Amino acid sequence: MKRFTFMRLSLWIYLGVFFAYLLGPLVIMSATAFNSPAFPRMTPWECLTFEWFGALFRDERILNGIWNSILVGAGTVVLSVAMGLAGALMLTQIWPKLRATYYTIIIAPILIPGVVLGISTLVFWDRINRMLGLGADSWLSNGLFLTIIGQSTFIASYCMLVLVARLQRYDMALTEAALDLGATHAQAFRKVLLPFMRPAIASAAVLAFLASFENYNTTTFTFGEYPTLTIELAQKVRYGITPAISALAFIIVVLTVIAALANEASLRRKELVAAARQKATVAELESGRLQLPGFFRSNWAAAALVAVACVTVAVAGTAALYSPAQCIADVQEQKRLEAEQRIQELLRQRELRRQEQLDQQGEAVPAPAAPSGSSSGFGGAFAPGNLSGSSEAEPEAEQEPQGNSSGFGNVFDPNALSGGSEGGGAGD
Amino acid sequence: MPSFLREFFKRNGTGMGSLMLGLVLFWTVGLIILPQLSMLDFSFRPNLPPPEIGGPRDVYTLENYKYLIYGPEGGSQDYNAVDLRVFFRTLVAAVCVTVFNLILCYPIAYYLAQTKGNHIRIFALMLIIPYWINEILRAFALRIIFGETGVLNNMLVGLGIFDTPFDFIRNDIALYAGLGYAYILLMIFPIYNVIESLDRNQIEAARDMGASWAKIHQRVVIPYAKPGISSGCTMVFMLSAGALAAPQILGGPSSLWFTQLIYQQFNDNSDWPQGAAYAVVLLVTCILLVLAVMRLFKVNMGDIGK
Repeated sequence: MKRFTFMRLSLWIYLGVFFAYLLGPLVIMSATAFNSPAFPRMTPWECLTFEWFGALFRDERILNGIWNSILVGAGTVVLSVAMGLAGALMLTQIWPKLRATYYTIIIAPILIPGVVLGISTLVFWDRINRMLGLGADSWLSNGLFLTIIGQSTFIASYCMLVLVARLQRYDMALTEAALDLGATHAQAFRKVLLPFMRPAIASAAVLAFLASFENYNTTTFTFGEYPTLTIELAQKVRYGITPAISALAFIIVVLTVIAALANEASLRRKELVAAARQKATVAELESGRLQLPGFFRSNWAAAALVAVACVTVAVAGTAALYSPAQCIADVQEQKRLEAEQRIQELLRQRELRRQEQLDQQGEAVPAPAAPSGSSSGFGGAFAPGNLSGSSEAEPEAEQEPQGNSSGFGNVFDPNALSGGSEGGGAGD
Repeated sequence: MPSFLREFFKRNGTGMGSLMLGLVLFWTVGLIILPQLSMLDFSFRPNLPPPEIGGPRDVYTLENYKYLIYGPEGGSQDYNAVDLRVFFRTLVAAVCVTVFNLILCYPIAYYLAQTKGNHIRIFALMLIIPYWINEILRAFALRIIFGETGVLNNMLVGLGIFDTPFDFIRNDIALYAGLGYAYILLMIFPIYNVIESLDRNQIEAARDMGASWAKIHQRVVIPYAKPGISSGCTMVFMLSAGALAAPQILGGPSSLWFTQLIYQQFNDNSDWPQGAAYAVVLLVTCILLVLAVMRLFKVNMGDIGK
């Protein structure tokens, strides 16, 4: 029994560490979007601010990148779902001897590094372009075209895997029945196979869009004139990071969480409805008075979804009304005070050091300085020591009066001569 | 027309059949096979300005591969020590990341697959959500944490474990953490899929026979999960050896990933054939390594991606 609880405990610790590793970075990154320092950091916390969201929406390059990403994503979804579906259908009817080779070929792009895919796409279409004798600005060397082609190469493999899983449950007799009843092949495909495949096609399309949206390795070689959001982000992150990127990340995290919860909630709801139908009596079903469970009943995902939505609305509302100006002013005031204190501290240390120097020099210097001072009216202007000291001593000249109590003392102070050096030079 | 093609068209109709065949051929030949061959061909050519391509100087040469091994001609060193060191370090680090991920992910995949209940679905959601977020942003998040004034350093200094901030980025710890982080799901998912289909009774039976906890895993679960483990490891290894974003963002100033060298050849030096040669070397080495390991553990290629 003791061993059992020990195992339990270590399991929960392991799970805790694992999910902290997985989610911690996202939480911290999101938090930095609301902190006011210009470098994204969570500690020390200065001010709650929403200005980074404003900075994000004013950033032309980011907005342009989002638009390009959507264009590329749309093209990639269409091309790779079509190729994935054709590839999956082909897999079910290909000549058995070719099957293994064919499967290896269409699965390979998942394993080929994205960098290699990007390079091969670039090199290959460049060559085609040259063979056809087209110029450097033809559509074959267009960044949009190359990126869609390059990404589709491996995203189609993902789609194929998703679609094959569903296709394995399809009864080919259905298509044959449709054909026997006089449907054309296109009709049988559109009216029988396609409706059956629709859920898998939808999830393949979502997967393809997400994969395209976040792709970096392939796109970085092919994007040309169309930098996608990921490319823009990478350039920003490499050459200096700001909390505006955290703000974008926060928005993406929230959208993701909402989408995931919505999906989960609707799945749960379907399950609950199915369970209720199964439990219902025949009379209830026939009379149509079946009590279906409410949307929120025993559906944690729906409850969480509503909670997240409420929090999002609340945050957006606060952002519209809240102004961090006062807090930022306070923090700046505090920083100014701190800086001032630091300057004071520095000055004091300098003063101390000077005082020490003075004590040391006071014993050594006056001996040679005194004779020269007495022989000429120009004081120490020609004294060997004073030119060297002049540049350093000048800033401290203002503080002189505080340090010296007597007017006579100045003559014997080696630093005092610095002030006279310029005057002496002019006098000559 | 060969008989199987005729049958194919009879089965799918001429229009649908040719559309399907056209798409598949475009994908396999036009997007997968020809570009790879074209890259291979390109890597054996000298770097020439566009007007000279196809001219008398455009001949096959091993120069680009020689460069990786021996360095520039007339160089002071016998071998291209810098690039070779980066190459081997990339491979070793990718293997380390793979092993680390396997150790981290096997227990969680086993737990998720063998436990039922509502909280498992929450865990699954929590696993998937980070993977809907951009790769760059994930690396960026880790950079916030591992930076000189980052959360981790502030915490460690605050707790008095370190006197001065520890430079995680220069010591490549951030890079390894980032690579491991990036591919967790790709390791968990295949293992989870396989273990989920394992009959719980087999584990119960082994326990009834008196097998210890470690023995159950060694004799029952791991042999059964081998296809999943191998496909997870293959994916993580290939992807982390070919990663570009994480090394660019999280790598220290001195540590170059091999893909960064390829990137430099293409974008900074504009030496495409050289870059293509490096890419071919990376691809071939990775494939050979994976095949060797698969042979060692007796796994089939067909199991990948299931």
